[in-house]
Amino acid sequence: MSSETESSNTIAGESSGRVVDRLRPVTGPIDRALSPLANGYNRFLGPYFGEMNGLQFALLFVSLISLATAPFWSNYIIVQTFTVASIWAIFAMSWDIQSGYTGYISFGHSALSGAAAYTTAMLLYNVGDFPFMVTAPVSVFVTLVVGLAIALPSLRLSGPYFSLITFVAVLIFYRLIRPFSDQTGGETGLQSVEVFTYDPVALYYYMFVPMVVIAVVLVFIARSNIGLVFTAIRENESAVEAAGLNATKFKLWSFVISAIPMGIGGVLLAHYYGGVDPYTFVVVDNSIEMIAMAVVGGMSSILGPLAGAFLFLSLDRIILTELPTRLRWIIIWVAVLVVLVFARDGVFRKLWHGLDRLGGDRE
Amino acid sequence: MLDSLLTVLLLGATMSAIYALIALGFTMVFGVGGVLNLAHGGLIMVGAYTYLVVSRSGALDWLPGAGPEVASLLVAALVAALVSYVLYVGLVRYIEENVVITFLATVIVALLLTEVALYQFGSQPNTLRAIWGGATNLESVGTRVLHMHVLGFVVSWVIIGGLWYYVKRTDEGRSILAASMSERGAQLTGVSLQKVKSRTWLIAGAFAGIAGVFLGATTQPASPNMWLNPLALAFIIVVIGGIGSIKGSVVAAYLIGYLEAFTIEVIGASYQGILSLVVLVAVLLVLPEGLYGREFVHE
Repeated sequence: MSSETESSNTIAGESSGRVVDRLRPVTGPIDRALSPLANGYNRFLGPYFGEMNGLQFALLFVSLISLATAPFWSNYIIVQTFTVASIWAIFAMSWDIQSGYTGYISFGHSALSGAAAYTTAMLLYNVGDFPFMVTAPVSVFVTLVVGLAIALPSLRLSGPYFSLITFVAVLIFYRLIRPFSDQTGGETGLQSVEVFTYDPVALYYYMFVPMVVIAVVLVFIARSNIGLVFTAIRENESAVEAAGLNATKFKLWSFVISAIPMGIGGVLLAHYYGGVDPYTFVVVDNSIEMIAMAVVGGMSSILGPLAGAFLFLSLDRIILTELPTRLRWIIIWVAVLVVLVFARDGVFRKLWHGLDRLGGDRE
Repeated sequence: MLDSLLTVLLLGATMSAIYALIALGFTMVFGVGGVLNLAHGGLIMVGAYTYLVVSRSGALDWLPGAGPEVASLLVAALVAALVSYVLYVGLVRYIEENVVITFLATVIVALLLTEVALYQFGSQPNTLRAIWGGATNLESVGTRVLHMHVLGFVVSWVIIGGLWYYVKRTDEGRSILAASMSERGAQLTGVSLQKVKSRTWLIAGAFAGIAGVFLGATTQPASPNMWLNPLALAFIIVVIGGIGSIKGSVVAAYLIGYLEAFTIEVIGASYQGILSLVVLVAVLLVLPEGLYGREFVHE
């Protein structure tokens, strides 16, 4: 059974390898032309963020520039999509640093973003008119507390049991909204949060800049020793313990590192919609969408989930926008399923490694 | 006081019986293949909607008495079983060696089924036609029993009995038990793992389909999101009972079923589910193996 899939994988690998061999004479010189730039980067930042060849550097650079200048070359719909995608990219990356790296797959991350958004909205609705400078840190702090409250009991378990408990955490959160509807607004939610700005271009940068900052920080963490330990926990937890490292402590840290950006993303999302409600913020589907984005992009790579979020939302809101909602989601889920089965490591990881091979040998 | 106690007793019996069916299929699939099938909830929905379509189409109305409804129930069970089988043979078989990917893939299948249901039937809930309509008033104690609830209870126990007989007394059934205890051991004695797994998925699908029909006709009208609640409960039941254990699932189903009925009747419907979730967390922390440990041992 498993040997069958392996052999089919290697066949696919060989055929794509042949394509790469044919392309290399074309792409190799391009890579060499770009490599001085990449080498400059590698010399100063490579040790912290990982090294790359000319083509990879070009891809990253061009993507960053085109995202940063999106309002100047695109239309309203694209800017709006990218605004939402920026927030979802934060969620997908935060999920990735915890679940993708440690292998403890959490279905509970929508409880974290929901906690942040609900804290902001409920503070403004129930307590008083606090400025953003007060509500945002409090919300992020509450998210951290919720994250630890989920992590402490659930990390005693592993594998599917862990996922189950985090799944249950979201359900408990969702169920508690209705009995306390005086404070939470019940099914309709609260519309108490002030939208940052109604200028779509400014709003885009409000979401885009935090995303870039979070991406840089998370990549840095992922490439540091902490990220290495997380990966080691995924690959062989008892080996980590045998090396004298307290795996549980690191798993808790992964939740902390994940909960803080989740909180920031949740606050941003609340300020994007101008309010909260259970369907856009809490329900399990949200967690699954985050996971789907991360998986499509490539788990445990931080930038993969980022790209996955943009791809996912572009599919939903730009490429398939003509279709009726239901049909659109059917297509999206089938696409995610296809990626899961045929490109487990994610689309963008495949692209990245493809570029590595296209660039030929590095000196 | 007495009548609400009686209502809890009756409602709890029905709900527990249906939950037991759902949990049994779920736990068997996990016990044999080690696959947590999150699409199991989707199969409940498939059963309910198949029943809806078949019983409304009138294609079977030539049957006498309650014939059309009974036949629709059978068709629903069959279709759910087939969907479950196709899910295994067409998808899960290729990815089951990677637990995480399987887990994610089955979640996505569940969402996919939800979207298909929304696309096809819209979001409004549909109460299914009862197989045995009406109710009997128990005037002496001041409550009434819906016939559909009685039927659900009886069918559930017939199925549980059948499954018990199958697994303990027939060779085919015992090979399922063997595969869940030790895959290698079962293979060495000539059991075809592939066949056992497909069979388990078929049975689980049929159970889910039947449960879906009874859910849709009693407490939870057929809607695209009807599966989430029962699936969460099936989780809870299976974990409390001990993953892979048939006895544990049945016992835990009754525990949770009565807890739910009590919550709905005494505390309020909006708290439905919360108490069970809290019990689950408590059980996991105190008894991570569940009530009946792992009756089915894995390597």
